[in-house]
Amino acid sequence: MKQKIREFIFNELIFVAEPEKFSDDDDLLEAGLDSMGIMRLIMHIEDQFGVTLPDSEIDPDNVKSFNTLEQWVLQHQA
Amino acid sequence: MNTPTEDIIQMLNPSDCFTLAMDEEIRQEQMPGSQCGFALELSSTPDITAIEQRIHEFGERFPLVFASLQQRGKRFFWCKREQQHPLFHHHIAPDTVNAADFHKQTVLSLLNHRQARETIPPLEFHLIQSTGKNTFLMRWIHPFCDAKGADLILKYLCTDDAEQRLRFDLPKLEPLVNQQLDKYKWWQKVLLFIKAKRHITQLDTLQSIIHADTSKAPKQLNFNTYTLSPEQTQSINKLTRQHVGLTGTSLYYVGCFMRALHKMNPEQAGDAYCTPYAFNLRRNKALSPLLGNHVAPLFAQAPKAILHDRAALFQHLKQQNANTLREKLDYAFLPLMWAASWLSLEQHGQKLRTSMRTGTERSSFWFSDIGNVDLSSASFFKTDITKIYHLCQISSPPALAFLSCQFNQQLTLSYNFIEPLFSEEWIEALHKNVLEELLLE
Repeated sequence: MKQKIREFIFNELIFVAEPEKFSDDDDLLEAGLDSMGIMRLIMHIEDQFGVTLPDSEIDPDNVKSFNTLEQWVLQHQA
Repeated sequence: MNTPTEDIIQMLNPSDCFTLAMDEEIRQEQMPGSQCGFALELSSTPDITAIEQRIHEFGERFPLVFASLQQRGKRFFWCKREQQHPLFHHHIAPDTVNAADFHKQTVLSLLNHRQARETIPPLEFHLIQSTGKNTFLMRWIHPFCDAKGADLILKYLCTDDAEQRLRFDLPKLEPLVNQQLDKYKWWQKVLLFIKAKRHITQLDTLQSIIHADTSKAPKQLNFNTYTLSPEQTQSINKLTRQHVGLTGTSLYYVGCFMRALHKMNPEQAGDAYCTPYAFNLRRNKALSPLLGNHVAPLFAQAPKAILHDRAALFQHLKQQNANTLREKLDYAFLPLMWAASWLSLEQHGQKLRTSMRTGTERSSFWFSDIGNVDLSSASFFKTDITKIYHLCQISSPPALAFLSCQFNQQLTLSYNFIEPLFSEEWIEALHKNVLEELLLE
């Protein structure tokens, strides 16, 4: 899952010169993930993984890194 | 008869055609066309020799800045000129004039400058200098690049490291609009086209509220800018998060502006406020593509009936934005733009501007939020940047554009309006309403 999210973010939303050096804990918001990008990312995750991510949980703590994103999605996948 | 082709550098992409159609619409109103500007106010006189050298280098790396926009047959192209024009201009105030007036009047005269499309330089840099005040203005025509591209050009100029500057580039293959279009099979493009058309038809069921006095003919662009304090900006950022969350920052400005307009005259004719905004195809933080337009238009629309309820308005705008992305309406505009690029400029402009149902103007105002201006440092050729604002010519109606950006933790609001369809006093009253709305707990 993390790999698919990485591909989507780096191909569509933000430019990182060396994506392989971007760790799963690095800050995506600092790297340029903005409000429009977060919205697009959430739609993509919902489509791709068949989950519904509640609006009320769209929080920097949940979208700040690949690890927090994965945890957030897993919480709703069951 | 064959048309000459040997001087052609490149063809416009569908997104450039969309801004060119607006250029034509503005020119048809006897106005200068779609000129745009970025202005940097500086704390002292910058190193002029270094600026000239950097601009010269920029021109050598991106020679399209010397091109001429010309029609060949039905299509438009960037073509070579016989002679290169100067890219940098220096304006020095006589000692006798008021500095603030001189700066504003010079910026206004540059943005209101009329010149044929074929001869106007696509991009120019101006240093406006007086005792105690310096403004660096970048002026460009919209078919040449979008606001993000202009932001990147500024970033290029402000990047001192020569190796870092080499990272700024053009699209390696096709423009991003065409790259996105290529992802879809022909039948998917047709479906997207139909989807976008249906979306516009739906928008057109409500007639847009226009505040401009359209009984008057447009004469000139004017602008008022207001820079808010860091404390005000911080409060607005907090309120933005509170009202629209992480996913709709610009919608807070849009909603507040709609309510502020409504307060100016709640009885103004029309059913809804409607504003176009750009969806940028570049990845954030990418230093390329620098030139060309790489955007698609989206719309935010709010019926008059919900404007009295702030919470309902923000919820509505957020929901609309979410649906737009969920239904991929952002991408649906790409085939529409591609198809429209085959129309005449007149037909293209009409499709962009007017409601299919009533034939009246679709936009209540134009809107652009470039967010945080991200320069490598706040310094500019050995001086400090104290303020940044952007400017644009507008079609009449709506004759009004609301542009925002943040720099150094300060929000700057730029109101661009066409006189005499709007007056400076009206804009000042509007700004009071906007500020009240932005800061309302």
